[in-house]
This record gives sequence, C-alpha cells and structure tokens, in this order.
Amino acid sequence: MSLLIALLASTLFISNAMKDEYNKIISTYPDIVITNQKALRDSTIDENEVNKLLAIEGVSSAVPRVWGNYYFLNADKKFLILGKDEFETYPNPLLNENLDIKNHSMLISLGVKKILDDNYYHNYFNFIESNGSIKKMQIQSLLNTKESLKNPLVIIMNKDDAQEIFQYSKNEVTDLAVTVVNRSEVAFVATKIRILFPSAKVSIKKDLRVFYENVYNLRSGFFLTVFIITFFTFFIIIYDKVSGLNSEQRYEIGILKALGWRVGDVLSAKLYEGLIVSLFSYILGISMAFIYVYLLNAPYLKDIFLNNYDLIGDFKIVFSVDYNTLSLLFLLSVPIYIAATIIPSWRVATLEADEVMR
Amino acid sequence: MIKLNNISKIYEKNVVALDNVSLWFKEGELVVLKGVSGSGKSTILSLIAGLVKPTTGEVLVDEKKISKIPDHFVSQYRQKNIGFIFQKYNLISSLNVSENILLPLVPLNLKRSECKRRLESVLKQFSIEDKRDTLVKNLSGGEQQRTAIARASINSPKIILADEPTANLDEKLSLEFIKILKDLKSQNKTIIVATHDPLFFNLDFVDRTIEVNNGKIIS
Repeated sequence: MSLLIALLASTLFISNAMKDEYNKIISTYPDIVITNQKALRDSTIDENEVNKLLAIEGVSSAVPRVWGNYYFLNADKKFLILGKDEFETYPNPLLNENLDIKNHSMLISLGVKKILDDNYYHNYFNFIESNGSIKKMQIQSLLNTKESLKNPLVIIMNKDDAQEIFQYSKNEVTDLAVTVVNRSEVAFVATKIRILFPSAKVSIKKDLRVFYENVYNLRSGFFLTVFIITFFTFFIIIYDKVSGLNSEQRYEIGILKALGWRVGDVLSAKLYEGLIVSLFSYILGISMAFIYVYLLNAPYLKDIFLNNYDLIGDFKIVFSVDYNTLSLLFLLSVPIYIAATIIPSWRVATLEADEVMR
Repeated sequence: MIKLNNISKIYEKNVVALDNVSLWFKEGELVVLKGVSGSGKSTILSLIAGLVKPTTGEVLVDEKKISKIPDHFVSQYRQKNIGFIFQKYNLISSLNVSENILLPLVPLNLKRSECKRRLESVLKQFSIEDKRDTLVKNLSGGEQQRTAIARASINSPKIILADEPTANLDEKLSLEFIKILKDLKSQNKTIIVATHDPLFFNLDFVDRTIEVNNGKIIS
C-alpha cells in the first residue's frame, strides 16, 4: 500500500511541479512575439522593425531579443543563452536585474558552472560558432541561487556577444517582444501586426498558453495511465479485503467473541488496526514520494513526463507542499482502507462465535 | 446453578447435536462429560457459554435465561462468568503469552495497574512467568495449554468449561493439567470438562461423570 501511495504521490508531485513551471514560464512571456519565417521555419528578424511596431496604437513597448540554445557536445547539454542590451527593458525579470555585464564576459547559473567545471572550464569557455571559429568568453560571475534554481542552464551575456555566437549580423535578432497597454486589445494589436508583417509568425501569449497546455496534457496522458494502473491495483487489494476475511482472521474474531468481546469491541479493535496500518502506509508512502521527487529529482519517472525537446528543459523540481494533493491522497487511501477492514469484520463479528470458529 | 431444560440443538443440514437433553450443575461442582467424538459434549459446553443458542429448550445460569438474551448481553455474561479452555487452546499465534492472557480484559476497560496485577497473578499460578514475552506459536503443547488456562482464569470466572483439554497432551502433561483442575476446584469454581480421556474417569475429586451419546444422556 505504501508503494502504491508513493507512486501515485510521485506522479502527482511531478505533474504539479510541471504545471507550476509552465505557469511561471508563461508569466514571463511578452504579450506578443514576432518571429520571421523562412520555409516555414523560424528565422531571424531585423531589429529595426521595432520602429514599425512602436507606431501601432496600443503598443507600449517593443524589444528586439537575442536568445537561443547552445549545444555543448562534451556534456551533451543545452545551454540557454540570453543576450542583454543595457538600454532595453525586457519582459523577462531575469534580464531586468541590475546586471553589469562586461564585453566578452558572461553570467552563468550554478548548473552551467558545474558542467563547465567538470570539463575544466573554470574561468572561461570557448563557444564554437557555426562557421567553426571559436569565441572565448570569460566567466564574470554566477547568477544568484534563486535564479539558478529557476533557470538551471542559463547564460546571460551582452547582446553583441550573443549575436556573434549565433552568427547573426549586426541588426539580426531572434524575435521581437511586444507589450500591449490594454490586455484585452492583444488580439486586435496582433491582427494589425500580421497585416504589417505578412510573412512573420505572430504569437500571442494566449496561443502560447494553449501550446504549453497541450504539451502538459500530453504528459498528463502518461500521468493518467500511471494513475489508473495504480488505482486499479489499489482497488483490487481493497476488493480482496472487502470480499472476505481469510480463515485465520475469521477464527481470531471467533476467539475474541468466545472470550467475551462484543461486536463493538471487535469493530473498535479493527478500526484502530486499520487506522494504524493505513496512516503508517500513508505517511511512509508520502515520505518516500517526497524523497524520490524532491531529494532525488524523480529519476526515470521524470523522464516519462519530460524529454530532451521539452520546452522547460532540464528543470529541477522545486520543493513545495500542495495540501490539496496530500488531502486527495489521504481521502483515497486511509478511509477506504479502514472501511475495507471494518466491513468484513463486522459481517463476521455479528455471527455466532461457535459458527465462526467451526 | 446451571440448568439445561429440554435442550435440542440442530445444526445446518439437519445434524442433530442434542436431542431433548435436561441437565443441571451445582455451584463448585466438577463434572466430567464423557462420550465419543460427535456425541454432543462440546455443544453442551457451547450452550452454557452462550456461544450457540439452542434450537428448542432453555439454558439457565443463576436463574437467568442466557439462551434468550441478545448477543450483546451474552458477551457481557461470558466476560463475567465463563472461562473457556478450548481443545486446540485457540490462542492467537501472532500475539505473545501476556497479550493472549490479557485479551478477556480488553472490553472491561480496567486500569493498567489492575490488568498488570491480574496478569502477574495468573502467570505465577500457572508457572509461565518466564514465557510472558514468548510468541505462543513458539511454546510447547503444555505451555500453550497453561496459557489457555491462565487466559480462562484471568477474569476470575465462576464457571470453567474445558473442551477435550488433554487431547493434544502426553500423559505427563495431562496429569499436570488434572492437578491444575484440582486447584481450581479448591477455589470453589464450577468446572465442566468434556473429554473421552480415561484419565478423568476415576479421579477422587470429580463429583459426577455424565455419559453423552448421540445427543442424549446415557447415565
């Protein structure tokens, strides 16, 4: 029973952590993102297009962003590189901190630091550009622990350096992030932008939310499978208990009745027994799930929910206590187990002791 | 005084265990019910203990019709009046000696100190003090029986019922049991033993021997 609760709790904890993570990511997104398209694939866009955007009524800000993933072959890891321009205000709070980044230097998260240390890059790192040339970047400092937990493999550098690593030309940027004054007008503004940039892809926050929810729901399919299997197993155990006590348990109740125990005495003993067993199983199962998910970061099970191409990448499950999940698991395990203990005992205890012991 | 008036007991599938039997037992008396297996001896004990109800007739203990009262009150009657020693001892194998002996006290909600006092008393009386923490499944046959007797005695019942108490014992242990029985009789307990063991038939402290056969009293 403890193992079943642990499995169920683990899947619920991971599922909740993913949902939280998606919500956090979405909250940092701008209202509208414009990317160029070439052969229906995302391509760079000219940062001077920002001026056209700012001319649209209702747009409060338009920021050219340089960002992308860098694959580090030796460690088989992807780093998220964010380019920062000191004069821009970004929708992402991480880039709006007072970060003084020197040229040809970078700020790295603790996760990146560990990977670089493992590969003997203690003070600098050599990025290999797409044309094969090497760009040496100094490690200026570490991001704080809080940001490192949120963004395990992130690197922040000046926009110019990021453009060089991605082999962008001077005016090329990854996308344009637009903020709209009135949130209810986002769709209307997006339509205006589509007219202005017919070949570009215009994504609004709502679409991104739907996209993330679809990804989440796909993962939830795995979760649902685990959930159904676990509950099926649990109810088979319960059904087995409810459908009748074994001969030894019947005999014990017969003995107790022959010794002068009343039906109520038998039932209260069984209540305590069921309560102790189920509470112990519940606490043990939840503890196992906490250790597995939050201390060990859910090896294997997490891989079922996430994969290498997942949008939230190599995320660390952040500890949180969700009382709704704990209550749900409690209600689905403890009272049901107690009922499954008491009902068959009551059936036997109401028979004549002699009949039970025969 | 225990009285069985015109008792018949018919189990499922029309198995007649007792056929119009009338019996009485005086207080402080030791009576042996003898007869072959299936003769109806155990059913007489079960009726007196209130473990079964008669099909017809009535069982009276101290003028109370225990065969007519509801199950809840029969349990209370057993708690106060009956100590039952079963043929297979009926100990709970997952519990130790002390826990088994204390079982009849659980519904009484006695103080811990009182339970302990009674436990120490019966452990000493039946010489099983050194086995108090041993699981009953690890005891010898004689030790299991002494545990069963201690459990039957812990409530200080007026009536001791023993169903084939020596069936699983060798002669030496059977004689030990008979000695215990003599001690219990000296405490003025009413003792009824159902047995077909010849060791019981010529004991000087046995008041009466009643022969049962095919659900009827022969002598």
